[in-house]
Amino acid sequence: MKSISLYVDRQSFLHRIDPISKIYYIVAAILVPILYPSLTVAFAVMVISLILLFLGKVIRQTLSVYGFVFLVLITVLIIQTLFYPGNETPVYRIGQVVLYREGFFYALTISFRVINIVTSFLILVFTTRSADLVESLVRKGLSPRFGYVIASVFQIVPEMMSAMGRITDAQRSRGMETEGKLSVRMKAFLPLIGPVVLSSLLNVKERALALEVRGFNAKGKKTFLNEEKNFLAPTAVQWSLLAVILIAIIWRIIQ
Amino acid sequence: MKKVMVEHLKYRYPGTEKLALDDVSFEVEEGELIGIVGRNLSGKSTLAQAIVGLVPHFYRGAYGGKVIVDGIEVLHSTVSDISRKAGIVFQNPFTQVTGSKLTVYEEVAFGLENLGVPRSEMMERIDEALTLLGIYDFRHANPFDLSGGQMQRMAIASIIAMRPEVIILDEPTSQLDPQGTEEVFLAVQRLSREGMTVLLIEHKLEKVARYADKVLWLDEGKVMAYDSPSKVFSRDDLEEHGLAAPIYTQICKALKLKSPDGETYPVTLEGAYEVLKRWN
Ligand SMILES: Nc1ncnc2c1ncn2[C@@H]1O[C@H](COP(=O)(O)OP(=O)(O)OP(=O)(O)O)[C@@H](O)[C@H]1O
Ligand SMILES: [Mg+2]
Repeated sequence: MKSISLYVDRQSFLHRIDPISKIYYIVAAILVPILYPSLTVAFAVMVISLILLFLGKVIRQTLSVYGFVFLVLITVLIIQTLFYPGNETPVYRIGQVVLYREGFFYALTISFRVINIVTSFLILVFTTRSADLVESLVRKGLSPRFGYVIASVFQIVPEMMSAMGRITDAQRSRGMETEGKLSVRMKAFLPLIGPVVLSSLLNVKERALALEVRGFNAKGKKTFLNEEKNFLAPTAVQWSLLAVILIAIIWRIIQ
Repeated sequence: MKKVMVEHLKYRYPGTEKLALDDVSFEVEEGELIGIVGRNLSGKSTLAQAIVGLVPHFYRGAYGGKVIVDGIEVLHSTVSDISRKAGIVFQNPFTQVTGSKLTVYEEVAFGLENLGVPRSEMMERIDEALTLLGIYDFRHANPFDLSGGQMQRMAIASIIAMRPEVIILDEPTSQLDPQGTEEVFLAVQRLSREGMTVLLIEHKLEKVARYADKVLWLDEGKVMAYDSPSKVFSRDDLEEHGLAAPIYTQICKALKLKSPDGETYPVTLEGAYEVLKRWN
């Protein structure tokens, strides 16, 4: 069974941190550099995030994400260094092209922030089971219906993809071209998508009925099969992160 | 004790003219296995959904008469409340998988979590249901990795774990291969032996004749008969209403061989064997 979950099963302290704390960390990692708009802070928080990701032992799995992010950031760096409106101090000249200091540092700050945000999300996504995340959120008061939608996306999307695979095989065995040039593939795609969409639409009503008779809309309090996992000091971690966020906000106000 | 009482039930789906159920009345005693038969679109599924409250609470539409399941009136309860009394299993095993759970064990727990069953009791019930349906060994498997027959038995286990008084199966084997069909029928038989009240909608009349205590025959939303399999399947107007009697009945009828009671024809292989032996 394929799964679209990006979770990587490792033994690390990050895997033992509860999902809610990781969400707090994302909030802190985004807010703090915004509240202290300095290059040093952006850099420091980014380094902390990267170290965490490293300690989570999932760096290797995330490299392709960084590849894409760097591609985008290099473009930003070039454009800002050349055309940032606040550009004043030229540092380098290549023929007609002038590189400016202000634009360069502006782009660098953006880059640090982006890498920081991406990394803090990667920490959550790569070291947390999607089911654990949803369950923690529902325990915290997220509506179980919404929780169901999130959880089922992780399961049903791969299911739909394998349905697609089955139908492709069926169509191909009847002589349809599904590989090769883009135009060929586009033509093959339309008759393919029909059955998949149709069958999933029909399934929606049936699944709704099946959920309904299993008490999906029951009023009273729900219980959980799984015991609340024994995460590493969730309260302490969460309060510390909250404290960091609060201090940053207070600092900002009294400034 | 009466587990299901249906009194003069009439129902019309929203946006339609025709009554899907037209003055249906019958009663089911505790522990009985009732086979529900009838040609396509005769109202079998609608009746099944009226017992678990999907009709009228999910579909809406025009409703008259009464359905009482283990003492509660369906019209005045909610589907989740009725789910503690009556459970239903549908045709397609795929669409009954919630898709939000990673293992068979968790899947069966879904209904219990919704009803707020305490954790320790939950595990006891799940173990029992999985064992009864013979899928305990697959408890750690991903629900989508099961075969059709296993998946359908998981759907039945998910309902059984909720400990309803009545279980309704709407053509539970129509989308399964012969092996899956056999597995599911054995499971249904086992439930019935455990004392469960079972309503089984089924097109294969041989199966109904073999397992059911009584047969409810619907046609165009009306009750044609509610009696023992031999009485119902011996009737002469089956074909006229789009039903073919069990093959054993057809043979004995052609040979004019009645059962020892002198009124009905045999409906099972064993029954046919007995009369054929005597005839010989
Ligand atoms: N969701 C719906 N909306 C409107 N009409 C419906 C709906 N479902 C069923 N009907 C109608 O109700 C009547 C009874 O259908 P029902 O599905 O109960 O028959 P059935 O005996 O289960 O048939 P089958 O053997 O094909 O499963 C039919 O006339 C059908 O067209
Ligand atoms: Mg039906």
